[in-house]
Amino acid sequence: MTEDGKRMTESGKRMAESGQPAPSVRVANVSRWYGNVVAVNDVSFALGPGVTGLLGPNGAGKTTVLHMMAGLLRPSSGTVLVNDAPAAGDTNVYRSLGIIPERESVHDYLTGWEFVRACARMHGLADADAAATRAIELVEMTPPQHRRISTYSKGMKQRIKVAGAMVHDPTILLLDEPFNGMDPRQRVHMLEVLRHLGAQGRLVVISSHILEELNDLANNILVMVAGRLAASGHFREIRRLMTDRPHTFRIRSSDDRRLAASLLGDESVFSVELTPDGLMIRSGQRGTLTRSIARSARDAKVRLHEIRPTDESLESVFSYLVNR
Amino acid sequence: MSTPLTTVAWLTWRQLFARRRGWLAAAIVVLPFILTFFYRLGSEDREGDRLIFMLNMNREVVLGVLLPLTAVIFGATAFGGEVEDGTLIYLLVRPVDRWKAAISKYLVSVAVTIAVMIGAVLVAWFALRTEELPFAVPRAFIVASALGSLAYCALFGYIGLVTRKGLVIGLLYVILFENIAARGFEGAKSLSVREFAVSLAQWAGDGVVKWQQPGVSMTTVWVVGSIILGGALALTLRKLARYEMAERL
Repeated sequence: MTEDGKRMTESGKRMAESGQPAPSVRVANVSRWYGNVVAVNDVSFALGPGVTGLLGPNGAGKTTVLHMMAGLLRPSSGTVLVNDAPAAGDTNVYRSLGIIPERESVHDYLTGWEFVRACARMHGLADADAAATRAIELVEMTPPQHRRISTYSKGMKQRIKVAGAMVHDPTILLLDEPFNGMDPRQRVHMLEVLRHLGAQGRLVVISSHILEELNDLANNILVMVAGRLAASGHFREIRRLMTDRPHTFRIRSSDDRRLAASLLGDESVFSVELTPDGLMIRSGQRGTLTRSIARSARDAKVRLHEIRPTDESLESVFSYLVNR
Repeated sequence: MSTPLTTVAWLTWRQLFARRRGWLAAAIVVLPFILTFFYRLGSEDREGDRLIFMLNMNREVVLGVLLPLTAVIFGATAFGGEVEDGTLIYLLVRPVDRWKAAISKYLVSVAVTIAVMIGAVLVAWFALRTEELPFAVPRAFIVASALGSLAYCALFGYIGLVTRKGLVIGLLYVILFENIAARGFEGAKSLSVREFAVSLAQWAGDGVVKWQQPGVSMTTVWVVGSIILGGALALTLRKLARYEMAERL
């Protein structure tokens, strides 16, 4: 077992011995608007122990939802309960909750050690120094801990923020885009840390706009688009929905009309449209179609100039999930 | 022994002196001393001149400019600096009553402002001290600065919390209201913290500090000063207690 694993197992044992009830977050019919702008629209879900991914494009309302779960924003309507108590209005909720904000700003004039120890002291921990040492070791920031945060890279700032949020051993951890700025090795290490935390029975929520970041980490995925909960379920289910959605390709060739006639007989093709910009083809089987295009072009003796998917943007993927 | 609130105070202290604000504080302390230096260079130094110079300099420069300037820098930064830097969230997600955290930050900004003012007044007095300049003179201005700091820091702390342009708005307030409107209009005087501080200096001056022009009455100073202090503090506590991390859409 790795050192991190041992440290986290000890922490997990402490959690189990404390006899605390399982952590929970319940979001019921929550909406939040700013003036005329609706940021979150009638969202409901319930979370328990384990890692949950909050997935969606930028501006989907993920941060607003996380902030409401952390009691940093009040819902305009609906309720947010953390361990069966309202999230906003009572600072005692932070004894069992930690949050890592998306913005990389930390107190630049402090050293990493000073920052994490200050976090521990603000929680009133009996042995703040020991807690800070533990949290810093957990994120592998011991060597540069006495350097000023202003000298840290983006990834190091992210890790020291995680240490600050973990220093009081919270049972609920909310992370807003935690992998931003981390290099691949740091990312793998952070994935391992978060996986362990989830396995210990903590409730971990990770927001991200990249589904693959949550691969092998979050079993439960909530997909948010334009302030609404577009889909929820197991990672594999969401992956399948995204892969199996209809795809649209634009093809330019030496003879679009002949290629269209050839492709119409292919069972992977939903529709073919001749446009001034080339052929527009819709298909439900992306992999099969790309092979069929090459085969049909060869059979029809047509030269392919360009094949371009037209709907690969995150927004179009997510909006498919909303409208399906 | 560190407690959550002393840690909030310590963080505020570190924040106030970050980004070269320590040098600004040093410059403010030294400025009256430089003025006394030029006074000694250019003055015939007849009897009574030093007292007149010291009273005028403290009234116009220390109470009129340096006190509000120091309070703007440290009062607005105590809250506004955290809002601007995006670090306020690290304070809000702790099991610390927000009103207590706000009081801690306010008290640190007041303490720093008072310390800078004490330095500015004492260094200048020390450079010119004679028998005609008893300790009652600097003491009067220290008392006036200290009480003025209480009101100014509450006021600028609130401005720093509600707007990202706290420093600019604070400076405009000092220039436009305290140094133009309050000098030009009688009615504005009874709302001016600078005028209150001038009257307080006379009140605390043991008869040595006397102004020829009548200032604001001490009743006005206590009543209106308390309203400004209490009102600004109450607004700050209320704002921080309800503070929300709203996304900018």
